[in-house]
Amino acid sequence: MAKEVKFFRLVQETAFRHIQVSYNSIVKHIDRREKIKLESIDIYRLLYPYISNKFREQLIAVIPLVIYLALFQIIFLRQTIENALTITFGIIAVIVGLMFFMEGLLKGLMPFGELLGNKLPQKSRLPTLMLITFLLGVGVTYAEPAIGALKTAGSIVDVRKATYLFLMLNQYGDILPVAVGIGVGIAAVIGTLRFLKGWSLKSLIYITLVPTIGLTLITVFNEQLKSTIGLAWDCGAVTTGPVTVPLVLALGIGIASSGGKGESSLSGFGIVTLASLFPIIAVLAFANIIYYTSPIDINNISELLKTGGNTETSLIDKTPYAEILLGIRATVPLILFLLIVLKFILKEKLRNPIYITYGIVLLIIGMIIFNIGLSYGLSNLGNQSGGLVPAAFAKLESVEKSPLYSYSLGIVIALLFAFCLGFGATLAEPALNSLGYTVENLTNGVFKKSMLMYSVSFGVGIGIMLGILKITFDIPLHYLLLPFYLIGLILTVLSTEEYVNVAWDSAGVTTGPVTVPLVLAMGLGFGNSLSVTEGFGILSLASICPIISVLSMGLLIKFIVSRRHISENISKKTPEKGVA
Amino acid sequence: MNHMRQMIILKDISLITCIVQKGVADDIVKAAMEVGAQGATIYYARGMGVRERLGIVGVAVDVEKEVLNIVVANEQVDLVFEKMFLAGKLDTPGMGFMYVTPLLKAATYIPQEILEKISENCGE
Repeated sequence: MAKEVKFFRLVQETAFRHIQVSYNSIVKHIDRREKIKLESIDIYRLLYPYISNKFREQLIAVIPLVIYLALFQIIFLRQTIENALTITFGIIAVIVGLMFFMEGLLKGLMPFGELLGNKLPQKSRLPTLMLITFLLGVGVTYAEPAIGALKTAGSIVDVRKATYLFLMLNQYGDILPVAVGIGVGIAAVIGTLRFLKGWSLKSLIYITLVPTIGLTLITVFNEQLKSTIGLAWDCGAVTTGPVTVPLVLALGIGIASSGGKGESSLSGFGIVTLASLFPIIAVLAFANIIYYTSPIDINNISELLKTGGNTETSLIDKTPYAEILLGIRATVPLILFLLIVLKFILKEKLRNPIYITYGIVLLIIGMIIFNIGLSYGLSNLGNQSGGLVPAAFAKLESVEKSPLYSYSLGIVIALLFAFCLGFGATLAEPALNSLGYTVENLTNGVFKKSMLMYSVSFGVGIGIMLGILKITFDIPLHYLLLPFYLIGLILTVLSTEEYVNVAWDSAGVTTGPVTVPLVLAMGLGFGNSLSVTEGFGILSLASICPIISVLSMGLLIKFIVSRRHISENISKKTPEKGVA
Repeated sequence: MNHMRQMIILKDISLITCIVQKGVADDIVKAAMEVGAQGATIYYARGMGVRERLGIVGVAVDVEKEVLNIVVANEQVDLVFEKMFLAGKLDTPGMGFMYVTPLLKAATYIPQEILEKISENCGE
């Protein structure tokens, strides 16, 4: 009896038509080649979660940073946000642009990367492989969303104070990404060779740092080129973003696993490190080449540039067109290159060409929207709050009653602001989360995921703080960078190969497409309102500090573990378990 | 008192298996638990079939899937099955697939007080 009532209630509650059909009869009527007809409600149900999830992903990455900057400006600096409407639209464009771009990357470019990685090593010889790897390195750099920030940054630099820096960012603004790209290309080639031959990253780091620091020293002693050091070292951080890392890695790992020696648990690491060191060499070399091949009379050129610059901006540099041009120029060469390789070298056909086309269209649209958002939202906001922070301790014309706090308190507030910005932004970076998982697996759980995340974030926070300190007191960047890299080197000598791989890669992984433009613009705004020569260098400090913090954390863990093992061995007198 | 370890064997149970796109499983589990399911096991898989026939809208269908396993009592199975179907919007093409398998027996930890209640009912 009771059962009957229950079933009745069940039917009543759901009020839902049940039709029983034999699967036998359905199979007879299904044609796999036929398209399924979709009704509008079906399309809505399919698309809504797809779009809203992607949107939320980017929203979470962008909004906390923006709110932090805005609240800091309102509460601590007591300033309203200028052009709030433009910035809001810009930020929305950044979110939508990133959403399109990342989805396009996943659907449009990654299948290429995987196909290339799997098939290319079987079909071509090592020299061809290396050439393709190199060209891919150049192409992905161009397609990196954060690279557009360099161009925006160029407009903030003052010609008279840093002529060569201005030249490189404006007159040679189109060549600069090529120089960076060549650096990444060489890094990709060496990184892939490393996979193949099983070279240790430690020795590669030593070898790479020699020309990097050598060129820096040469540049330091050149009064006119001095200002380009910050830019060069920052370029290293700009390059390793969401396009470069997966695409170059896919190819590198593919080549390595076909070469036989790619089975180490460390394969995959190292390319990021090299890709953030080689661009420094490339950009420094580029600066020196400009200096020696076409020396410029500073007094004349600054006037010339002003007039020349103005006529140029009026034509194609109108808002949407400039960004559309930039977006197409950034992505199309890479896509064409990949297609050519696929057609003429691999002679393969793509599976699901509709989805790939869809992905590529999204990629280009995303890049364009992101670029618009970059100049109106991120750069604008970063520049503004960067420019206002010094009001905490210095007298600024734009801010009433500045300095707002006593000198020492104001500096402390500015430094804390910088630290929290770096710490928070890094902790929220999704790439760091996945790196954390890898590291926890790699070290058999000794190096916890959260431990890595906190030490990297702490490092970045300290780095950005030091960057602000550098700009505030106009400390030459090499005074900070060289000792830090020296410490980094000493720690590298002391650490084991695994930790070296993780630590040097962690820096590059963490600087995403939102953080880079924001921090870059903030530094430049900060520098401008204190009227120092240039505001570059923050990113480079934010790269070396996590290396130091992760390496020291690794050494500390090693020390604790070995102490524990010793005491266990003494007390139990049993052989310790083999830990790979 | 009771030093002997015992295993309680459950009868009259079914397994509901549901394959959906990655990220959807949690909502379905929630719906199933609201109508009496005790828990769920989720694992990851890759699937194909319908996506290719949806045309351009197919981009919205994730190739990566989540497979849910929920064990329910035979009395609950129809209700839970229906709720899961609705929560997963499985009446939309490309959203997923689900089925029920009869189980021979199952065993797990059963709280002592529940066993006592059962034996009281049987005693009456």
